[in-house]
Amino acid sequence: MSTHSETTSSGAGEVKAESESEHYQPPTLSVAAGPKRKIKARKAAKLPSIERRNWLIHSHFIRKEFDGCKSLIQEQLVETNGQCEYAIYIQALMLRSDGEIQQSLELFQACHQINPKNPDNMKQIAKNLILLGKHKSAIECYNHATDLGERDWEICHCLGVCYQFLKQLDQAEQCFLEALSKGKHTVTYSVLAKLYLEQQETKKAIDILQKGVDFAPENTDLLTSLGLLHLRNESFHRAFELLGQALTYDPENYKAILAAGSLMQKHGDFDVALTKYRVAAQRVPESSSLWNNIAMCFFGKKKNVAAISCLKRANYLSPFDWRILYNLSLLHLTMQQYASAFQFASTAIGLKSDHGPLYMLLAVGLANLGQDDNAEQAYLKAMELNSNDPHTLINYCVFLHNRGNSQKAANILGNFHKLSDDKSVSVEKELFEISKRLSAVLNVGEKIVVEKEKVEKHRKKKATKKTESVSSLAEMEQQNHIEEQAAPSGNLKPKKLAPLGTLSSVSSPSTLPPLRSPMGPLNPSDLLSQMPAVPEHDPERRSTKHKQPVAE
Amino acid sequence: MAAMETTNGSREKSDWTDLNAPCVSTEVEKMDLDKADENVNWLKAHFDPVAGVYSFSSCIALADLNGDGDHKLVIADLGTGKYNMMIKVLKGTSVVQENTLLDLPTGVVSVYMDMTEPRTPGLVVASGSGLFVYKNMRPYYKYNVEALTVLPEEQQLWDQSKVGNVDVATLADALNSLKNEYSSSMLTSQTSHFLKLSSQEEAKQFVEDYKNVPLKRETVITCITTMKKSMAEDDAISCIVLGLENKEIHIVDCEAYTVLHKFTVHGVPVIINVSGLFDVDFRMFVACRNGCVYTLKKDSDNARVCLDLNSQVVGMERIHKCLVVAMMDRTFTSFTTKGRQLWSLEMPADILCTTIMDHKAKGFKAVMVGLSNNEVHIYRDKNLVDTVKLNDRPQALCFGRYGREDSTLVAVLASGALQVLILKRTAEYADHSLHRGPPSSQYMKLNIPKKTQLFVDQTVRERENGIEMFQNFQNDLQMMRVNVAEMYLKGLQSSMTPLSDDPNVPLKLSATVQGIGPMFQLILTIENTALPSPSDAKLLTDLKVVFKYLDKVYTVSPGVLSLPALVPDIPYKFSIQVECIASDQPAQDTITAFIVKPDNTKPVVTANISMPASEGVVVV
Repeated sequence: MSTHSETTSSGAGEVKAESESEHYQPPTLSVAAGPKRKIKARKAAKLPSIERRNWLIHSHFIRKEFDGCKSLIQEQLVETNGQCEYAIYIQALMLRSDGEIQQSLELFQACHQINPKNPDNMKQIAKNLILLGKHKSAIECYNHATDLGERDWEICHCLGVCYQFLKQLDQAEQCFLEALSKGKHTVTYSVLAKLYLEQQETKKAIDILQKGVDFAPENTDLLTSLGLLHLRNESFHRAFELLGQALTYDPENYKAILAAGSLMQKHGDFDVALTKYRVAAQRVPESSSLWNNIAMCFFGKKKNVAAISCLKRANYLSPFDWRILYNLSLLHLTMQQYASAFQFASTAIGLKSDHGPLYMLLAVGLANLGQDDNAEQAYLKAMELNSNDPHTLINYCVFLHNRGNSQKAANILGNFHKLSDDKSVSVEKELFEISKRLSAVLNVGEKIVVEKEKVEKHRKKKATKKTESVSSLAEMEQQNHIEEQAAPSGNLKPKKLAPLGTLSSVSSPSTLPPLRSPMGPLNPSDLLSQMPAVPEHDPERRSTKHKQPVAE
Repeated sequence: MAAMETTNGSREKSDWTDLNAPCVSTEVEKMDLDKADENVNWLKAHFDPVAGVYSFSSCIALADLNGDGDHKLVIADLGTGKYNMMIKVLKGTSVVQENTLLDLPTGVVSVYMDMTEPRTPGLVVASGSGLFVYKNMRPYYKYNVEALTVLPEEQQLWDQSKVGNVDVATLADALNSLKNEYSSSMLTSQTSHFLKLSSQEEAKQFVEDYKNVPLKRETVITCITTMKKSMAEDDAISCIVLGLENKEIHIVDCEAYTVLHKFTVHGVPVIINVSGLFDVDFRMFVACRNGCVYTLKKDSDNARVCLDLNSQVVGMERIHKCLVVAMMDRTFTSFTTKGRQLWSLEMPADILCTTIMDHKAKGFKAVMVGLSNNEVHIYRDKNLVDTVKLNDRPQALCFGRYGREDSTLVAVLASGALQVLILKRTAEYADHSLHRGPPSSQYMKLNIPKKTQLFVDQTVRERENGIEMFQNFQNDLQMMRVNVAEMYLKGLQSSMTPLSDDPNVPLKLSATVQGIGPMFQLILTIENTALPSPSDAKLLTDLKVVFKYLDKVYTVSPGVLSLPALVPDIPYKFSIQVECIASDQPAQDTITAFIVKPDNTKPVVTANISMPASEGVVVV
């Protein structure tokens, strides 16, 4: 075996016999600790460069072999007396990824001291300052870095982030736009979109996300965010397209799954939606939104018990989400558990006091609990908050009619007809049928009682033949009548509307997102029947919730 | 790092087969057979768990070193990282040659340097700031990268010190100020080592030692690759492309060893990918430590930013016109040469190394990605076509012709083991991905609680007695509210709270008890909670604290405490001595402290202090 030193001397003239017999000296020993006499007697040892192992440190660092990297850096720092800028730089990077921000910051500052002209060190210091929440100092550092080098994408983007934290949104927007002009990065697109959403500029947000999607057509985050925005804008077709795209690239993207699933639910594809949700359930089993959606799928499939258990899980996971409480209330109404339904509705109102349909649920519950006066008040409140909700109108109408207030019922029905003539409001078929029957009954006026009994009998026969037949106003009416008799008004507490009382004492948390459009909650009279459109509202509600992450 | 073990015995155990018959003679191989099903497309040719190799993808090459068509495996071994750096040549399963290296090898390439027949390539090892050229496995030439210019001030200082004009201390001071002015990377290593010395004596010795050594500032080679010079044939003459620590790229002629061209990029190069011919036209992609990839072209000296990535580049390969970049954040992304992203995949584990799989016989190129979960994923475009399971984390990968077998994968593992696999000739890598369709979790059942009898019973009960349940509940709720309100009102009326509700006398009172008895110290903290406004500082004056207690159990001194004027926002602490005088039973009672205003029969604030059980008096 020939050693290199022997032969290089013969091969290349310039290689001197620097280490003929003196084997390669470990660098640490080369000067300081080396036996000086020996060096003096022969030649001065070749001095290793400070940067000689930078590449090795780098290749271990990029493989995330941090342990090996750390010991290597220690050796290198001992060898160079702490003067190796790159070694310290990498050590600081590793500390940062370990979460030791402050220590990492100190090391970057050491780097800056070694080489004050390197803008990278300054940028890293600034980045650590951002992580420590010192945005103003970070901005100063970035400006300093700009002086040292050029103002590149990174500086612009991070400055934008700083300004965003400092709530100087205009400046932040400018920085992000500048960053995009310097370099296209998906991160910048999504933070800029978030910024626009924060300023309620949905249109601009959609535009910027569209640009981002054009730039990186396979970026699932951008696709999902854009899809959700379209969903919020009710351009469902485009939303579904984008979400589907996102799902083809990443079939386990749970945000996209939830949003796409809610659209499927909207179209009644409960089974398809459920299969999609199964994937998400493995990924994020603790998502309350997911369990809410699953529950509403079951509800759509008439599996009420499963739906309730899923909703209860959702409620356990996020007890302050009024939409889950709303759905729980709805389901309990369906199950004829009016007391529970009342409790859930009143809790929901405590959290969200300005949502009309919630009061309607409460009213339906109260009416079934024999609290007609309170129910009336709740209906009035619901009408006051949202007089254009077809479900509220119909339910109120039924309620008034059952109380014998045909005059007012006819008025309300008139409102409903006005509403249903308006093309912009979509009204389900079931509601129409009920309204038809109602108008028939109300027009007859005095004869109603007699007629009704006939209808009832007729219905009962039918009902025995088809187990769960078409919805029947009569059945509903019948029930109401029976209950009115069973619960004499004397038992009622004097003029105390319990839910309103709760309402005044509990302040609604501001964290809940505002509801985009009034979601027509289910007409409880329909609940007793087969109602294909039931979950339609819930997925939508889901989707509004879902937009929240975008807006954050 | 496993210690170097060069015993031949362990190597000879496993046989090398240059045809595609797997060898199962060793125990290791037998063990591996159990896992064999995982690698359906690959034959296990060789596995040496004690090879003790520490190397990177750039330090492995497969080359026909003797010109006999039998390709050898060249590994530049970093040894322990400090010692035992070697260049090893393997033929089949055995090491046929080992040459010691003086410094850490950065990379190794094989190049054809001349036109002599038979065509034998030279081996070029980059190490430190030099290239060591071997021909026929004999050292042939050493090329040093051009030294950088030394700062004139620095040169002057050393020159003067040589003559003896400058004493050691002055030299150190002057060099230190130079270092602060420039960065230490701008100075020679001689200077930085001199500055490191602590004692005067050492420094003198150092100056003496290095008196006659010319001052040199050397840079370090960070990466190496080759480029064909004027013809594209496999055995055409190439030139060497070097990436240097001072952010330069040098193209070095292999015949004359002169620099043909220099480029400067804005970061320290890590990986260079070259296409084209030097004499005709070429394009280089240079991945740098600043996370950027730069494009260099023959006709322009400017480095254009091709990609600005958010993460560090671990591997970069070019397939036809696409650039495939593996990054530290586990993404594996394809870009056009203009920098437009085509697709991006996320790997299940950290990416350790990549190599290109150029299957000439079947005419496709794929990228092999070594992951930290011991797997090598093979991608054709964005489609995962195969997964190779290795015995450990792959440290370096190399695909090419080894021996007489065209498609061989050589992997150096993190444990230092060397593994060689041969692609079966029957292996078909289709254009589409292996795994399509829904993820497996879609078939898992949802975890939904079953309905219990209790649930059903409760439901039925509520349906039947809903109204009563509701009314009872409302009734109880109202009763509770009334009770609470009454208690609260009572508390307010009698000022039993430790917080004052009187806007004129905003006070807060809290108390702690120290001691185990019979002597206690009661510390009252009283704070004026009025908002301090500069115009109207509300001082509270004329307040007194009195205590209510059972005089059979405690004595309290002072019994009445006159408070000074209370300044807003400053907590005042007062210490009161309490003695438990009830000796017969373990006494435990409540002391009530009132803050009172003169002329007012009602206390402003009340605090109930529950005293701890007192220890008995120790009678001596």
